[in-house]
Amino acid sequence: MTAFTLDEWFVVLLARTIRPRETVFHGFGSPCAQVAMHVARRTHARDSTLIEGATYAVNPEPAFIPPTGNDAALKRGAAYSMRFEEFFDAAIRGDVDRMFLSGGQIDRYGNTNVTGIPVDGGGYRLKLGGGGGGCNLAATIPFLSLWNSRHRSGRALVEACDFITDMGHRTPAGTRAELGYTGGGPQSLVTELGVLDFPDGHARLIQRFPDVTVEEIRAATAFELPVAGDLRVVAPPSAAELAAVRSVDPLGVRRSEFAPSELKRTFEHEPGADCAC
Amino acid sequence: MPLHPPGDKLVDLPTAVARISDGALLALGGGLSARLPMALVRELVRQGRRDLHLIGSAHSIDVDLLVAASAVRRCEESYVGFEQDLGLAPAYRRAAEAGTIEVAESCCVTVLAQLRATEMGLPFLPVRGVKGSDLRRLHPEYAEVTCPFTGEVLVAVPAVRPDAALIHAPIGDRYGNLHLDQPYVLDERFAPASRQVIATVERVVSTGEVTGAGVTIPAHYVAAVAEAPFGAHPTSCYPDYAYDRPHLAEYVEAAQAGGEELASYLKTYVYGVDEPGYRELLGPDRLAALHSWSRSTEDWKGLFG
Repeated sequence: MTAFTLDEWFVVLLARTIRPRETVFHGFGSPCAQVAMHVARRTHARDSTLIEGATYAVNPEPAFIPPTGNDAALKRGAAYSMRFEEFFDAAIRGDVDRMFLSGGQIDRYGNTNVTGIPVDGGGYRLKLGGGGGGCNLAATIPFLSLWNSRHRSGRALVEACDFITDMGHRTPAGTRAELGYTGGGPQSLVTELGVLDFPDGHARLIQRFPDVTVEEIRAATAFELPVAGDLRVVAPPSAAELAAVRSVDPLGVRRSEFAPSELKRTFEHEPGADCAC
Repeated sequence: MPLHPPGDKLVDLPTAVARISDGALLALGGGLSARLPMALVRELVRQGRRDLHLIGSAHSIDVDLLVAASAVRRCEESYVGFEQDLGLAPAYRRAAEAGTIEVAESCCVTVLAQLRATEMGLPFLPVRGVKGSDLRRLHPEYAEVTCPFTGEVLVAVPAVRPDAALIHAPIGDRYGNLHLDQPYVLDERFAPASRQVIATVERVVSTGEVTGAGVTIPAHYVAAVAEAPFGAHPTSCYPDYAYDRPHLAEYVEAAQAGGEELASYLKTYVYGVDEPGYRELLGPDRLAALHSWSRSTEDWKGLFG
């Protein structure tokens, strides 16, 4: 069996959050989500509809994923590209099933902060890039797949976001139901340490990577983290999934999301492991 | 505001940019690493424009360079940065943290609604999101509206009418008809919503050539058009050229360092040269290499390696 790396496995886990026949979108700023959508389309979700990056190309087949979300390389092979407003209209009326969201900070309800850490009286202690269209899209898109590749830092999964850019399941303003939001909110959160879900709108650990303990994950999480009774080790990538990652992303742009030490994590399939090779 | 009457609108770049005043509300065309109106941005800096109010969706070196040159008072984009690849926007970040620019971060959908309201001659439009997001705190001008039919309470956002939209196109005619390649980003909405479009084009061509390729932005929205080859550099302008990643990296490094290094970048590439000088500085070989994307997938990949 071939060895594989954390970044490859991480992208496969993101891809698995996509279900067959879904229409799925990710904008820019995350090569991992960008690569994952194509991996899903080449493995378990061949009939999904993929809307590509900031080009809004429909079901393109890029020869490689470039390091920017707005490049003509991402349109290759697409018969059609949506216009900007055409995409956002589709998402707001509920025709886009899933999108990927991340944040420098994520709290227990799946709220995300991509804006920064403001200080009282104006200015910021830290200014991040901003949320693109997430603040409206998070309201109406049925399923949100969250990810974060800096969980271990202890600064990513926070007790409370210093600024809520995109709403998760509830904010101080209320719950989704109270705010009249039609989207279902975050369904899962994939990090470089494990996988979380959101039963009753609160993050819970359901899977861990084999080289990480629950104690380490809890120590890296600022909020009280419930753990599923049937906590499992993350299922390894199949040969087909790994081949898809490598073929979709020959430039390895996915690796830019990880700390150098995480990129050194390598794994092997256990001898005789059951995999869909 | 009447549409712009037909006529020969071809001017040189400084004349085009002279139409923009200090304090103007500007919509910057393109997005992220593609088709940003960089020749117009550089000329704004050369002419010493101040107190600009910028609105848009996802941007990078256009906004950062204007902030670095102290040309900006207020920013209302949904994103300013260089994605995972080159990271946060250094000058924008520094100014936001120091409080020397106002940052009223927005959302692509909200900006779209505000432009559409202007296009339709309406004072506002409702949006479905924003509630529950702290972005609302950055915009005291937002209000709430109750739907008279369903009783739903939605966030109302006011119409926005930019003083000018700055748009770079691969080709256009001297009358202001512009052809763009997709993605158009917000450019199609900026044009009717703004008081005027100030355009640059890679090449001024015949009207027949523009109509043959397809008119994306018609002349009646355009007040001035200037020819500016490599006018989107270091961002891309397909089909002519891919983005110049090493140059973007050079800018980001200088902007991160700030001080002398940033001043040196600005002197070298902006204050010290006009646009022909800028192209000369980069050199014909380097600029030609950015077209190699069209030769083969391997060449295209090579530009991003």
